Amino acid sequence: MGGLQKKKFERGSATNYITRNRARKKLMLSLPDFRRLCILKGIYPHEPKHKKKVNKGSTAPRTFYLLKDIRFLLHEPIVSKFREYKIFVRKLKRAYGKTEWSAVERLKENKPTYKLDHIVKERYPTFIDALRDIDDALCMCFLFSTFARTGKCHVQTIQLCRRLTVEWMNYVIASRALRKVFLSIKGIYYQAEVMGQLITWLVPYQFSHDHPTDVDYRVMATFTELYTTLLGFVNFRLYQSLNLVYPPKLDSKAELDLKEENEDDYAMSSESYYEKLSALSSSLARVVSTEEEEEAKLDQFPVEGEDMDKMEAREKEQKQLEVQKKIFEGLKFFINREVPRESLAFVIRCFGGQVSWDKSVCIGSTYDVTDETITHQVVDRPNVDKHPVYIFTLTLPPHLSPFVEEKEGDYVPPDKLKIMALQRGEQPGTDQPYFINEEEEAEEKNLKKMEKQKSQGKSLEVKVTPGKLKVENPARLEQEEQAEEKRLAIMMMKKKEKYLYDKIMFGKKRKVREANKLAAKRKAHDDAEKAKKKKARK
Amino acid sequence: MLQDDKQLQAGNMAARRRLKRVASSQPGFLTLKSSLHPTDLAGNRRKRVNKNKKKNWNKYSDINDVEEFLEDVRHQERTTGGLLSEKTDDNLFYVDLGQPEKPEQKAEDAQPDDGKKRKGKSSRPLRIDLILQRDSLVPPPKDILAYQQPNAKKLRRIAQKAEQLAAKGVVPRRQKRLLNRRPVDRTAKKAEANNNPDREYYDIWEQQPKVTADPWYLQQTGKKLVKRPEKLNEKPSVLPAVEVIAPGGSYNPDFFSHQALLQEAHEVEVQKKKQEDKLERQLAVNREDKATEETNLREQVEGLVEEEENNEEAAPSMEDDEAALAAIAVTQKKTERQIKKERAEKIKEQQRLANRRQTEQQQQLFQLRSIKASIKKQDQKTKDKQMQRRAKQEAQKAQPRRLGKLKFQAPDLDVQLSDELAGSLRQLKPEGSILKDRFKSLQKRNLIEPRERAKFKRRLKVKYVEKRAFKEIT
Repeated sequence: MGGLQKKKFERGSATNYITRNRARKKLMLSLPDFRRLCILKGIYPHEPKHKKKVNKGSTAPRTFYLLKDIRFLLHEPIVSKFREYKIFVRKLKRAYGKTEWSAVERLKENKPTYKLDHIVKERYPTFIDALRDIDDALCMCFLFSTFARTGKCHVQTIQLCRRLTVEWMNYVIASRALRKVFLSIKGIYYQAEVMGQLITWLVPYQFSHDHPTDVDYRVMATFTELYTTLLGFVNFRLYQSLNLVYPPKLDSKAELDLKEENEDDYAMSSESYYEKLSALSSSLARVVSTEEEEEAKLDQFPVEGEDMDKMEAREKEQKQLEVQKKIFEGLKFFINREVPRESLAFVIRCFGGQVSWDKSVCIGSTYDVTDETITHQVVDRPNVDKHPVYIFTLTLPPHLSPFVEEKEGDYVPPDKLKIMALQRGEQPGTDQPYFINEEEEAEEKNLKKMEKQKSQGKSLEVKVTPGKLKVENPARLEQEEQAEEKRLAIMMMKKKEKYLYDKIMFGKKRKVREANKLAAKRKAHDDAEKAKKKKARK
Repeated sequence: MLQDDKQLQAGNMAARRRLKRVASSQPGFLTLKSSLHPTDLAGNRRKRVNKNKKKNWNKYSDINDVEEFLEDVRHQERTTGGLLSEKTDDNLFYVDLGQPEKPEQKAEDAQPDDGKKRKGKSSRPLRIDLILQRDSLVPPPKDILAYQQPNAKKLRRIAQKAEQLAAKGVVPRRQKRLLNRRPVDRTAKKAEANNNPDREYYDIWEQQPKVTADPWYLQQTGKKLVKRPEKLNEKPSVLPAVEVIAPGGSYNPDFFSHQALLQEAHEVEVQKKKQEDKLERQLAVNREDKATEETNLREQVEGLVEEEENNEEAAPSMEDDEAALAAIAVTQKKTERQIKKERAEKIKEQQRLANRRQTEQQQQLFQLRSIKASIKKQDQKTKDKQMQRRAKQEAQKAQPRRLGKLKFQAPDLDVQLSDELAGSLRQLKPEGSILKDRFKSLQKRNLIEPRERAKFKRRLKVKYVEKRAFKEIT
């Protein structure tokens, strides 16, 4: 008995949460600034388990944050930078309004800036943590680097993103880390294995931009701001791990190769070096230039609890991987101009091939079309000239997703089986056609070989196998297509129409059925008649 | 001569004026100047005016001669630089010795190759320059302000003092302060923007040297960053950052996987359609609620037809009430006997129940097995429920949470129909936007709350006015 009366919403979960507006007021920030701070610091809204308890008895949907998180934010040095920036903008506006240009100049010179280095360090205390979270950063940077410089976001951001993505691609090439490629209708999915971490990222096709209006560009730009910092530091570390010079430099030998051509056509002399780097056609300089990487054999330590079978399997996998890495070793590719250059060059170089293109396509081509040593031409055009062997390219084998993991007993498409075999380095039954290709090329070099990058990109031309030619009946194909169209049309019908349609179909079927019945009857009758007649004759 | 006369005039003007007036007043006096209107004097009589008014003085006194004289003086000064009368004879006259002997030819000899054209041009200034040249010989008046200096005296004194101090070797305070100031580091880099494309990176994860400063000091001065709580490093969703599209989304897919993807997309559409239909159904007007002729008529005659039934119904309800009241009154009082009887019955009942319970408990001894089974069953049930709940929670982790006013709206599946598929990389038309995909992915992983774009609200009304220039045309 006795004691103070307990008040509602003053203990328990009500005190653990804070609404967004209250948090904003507590931090004395505007909503956009608050949102930006939360993104940078990695503090996300929470959904309370019992909304009613937290929201003073109301169940209205609101955004809640954990109070402790917000308290943590109070210590962030960037908060004061945001306030400074706010004041800066106010002063600048005022100066503009008063047309005091000298004041504008001075203010702009002293624009407050901030760094996110400490936040990166804080959010990712170790390098591996950062690598685990690099997927998002890569996607974002690749996406932003393809943006047009039209003012949707800062031009500088776009340039930085481009630089970072080029560095990343160069690293992947140098370390031969690429594992999977998937060309989807959305964009190109890549998967690389970096320091034991599988990293997936999505790259948009070139020039495929429409700017959706329902996306908050400010939020995306904030994420990108953080991710550029993160990716930069990760790149630095990765380059260090391979003994590469960090702001990447071209190999001195490669640089000489590239020197000859007239560079002024493509870029200003200040930019041409960078452009050559982003062409991905030549290797990078190393800190300690090693003539040939020693084949570092991995020491095998049997992990405890792992039996011999498993280890063997792992070894086999390793071997397979080695083969895969060198699948294009010693081959020379020439990319024709209708093919997406950057992605192809990236993939080919990742698997050890050499690549070049026409001088008019891009800077950094290493050899000409007329080079005698070119082994493969990559072409993507319907071939009209006289080469019957390559007509089959019109019915290309489908491009399968490498991201599907088969379980035992699942149905595996025969095409996939073939590809898997190729990956293992065997060439099941394709040896012959493979050589034929090369011979033919030796014969008529200028005849463009119709070739497509297919599933996995890696097993590029091996897919061009005349032996696997699938002869498809065009009439049947058409029929199939029509049937599917019809099916889809039926699907899309309104309910009312569908009902009517069903009725009509039912009526038709009934008619047929009845006709069949009648025909059967008639036949039976005729048979009976015949039998009778025969009997009568007898 | 005239000049002498003028000189005389200049000598004492007042006297002259008086004299002139006197002279002109006399008949038969002729002035030298024609401008004095001799006809006036000859023909008409002089107009008499009162000289006691300033206006008349101004109007009728003749000062032309004075002005002319002064003009002449000014002219002389302008053209010769002084009065001619004051000049010496040397300045005014020269001895004529005839033409000088070919001075130009000599000049030509001195510089023969300079070019004839150039010589003529350079020697003669432009006419415009000649026009604009000063032709007066009177020097311009001095601008006194240009030579004056404010506070000259004070400044001079200060300078003298400074000189004295410098001689003694004393450095003034101001200079000392200037000397003592730390030199500004001009080479110091300005804080560069975060998105500077040439920014530098370093190894952020390398081992930091141990901080030796007092931790308490660092904490209090805000120099040490607050440790990030471990819990913040947990991701709010278990979904991967990049969800790879289904195999049917390939640019040249396998027939079956493409069909599977289409089927999936179709199901999503069907679900959407169902929702729409449901809403439509719920919003549809019920046919029974619609007004018909009959209901209209009934509404019109409402209250006109007498209703007798109601009156009949009201009467019995009154009776019922009375009966209930009576019942209460009757039950209020119990007799002594009744009370005793009730109590005995109650005790008896309790005893009976206790007995029964006892026997039941005794009997339970023989039901041990079944009891055990039932307990086991119950345990199993709770365990199952727990499992279910846990599974549900796990599934929830992959689901987008409700983080704000709006629910997460899953984006449309990116699908290309069979006839849209290009089959070749060159002809491929990319589907959907990656930007949107990334944005939705962030929302799906609970990193940001779904939000609607803020609507633009106009604070002030807009008024449309036709411009005048436009109006004129129409």
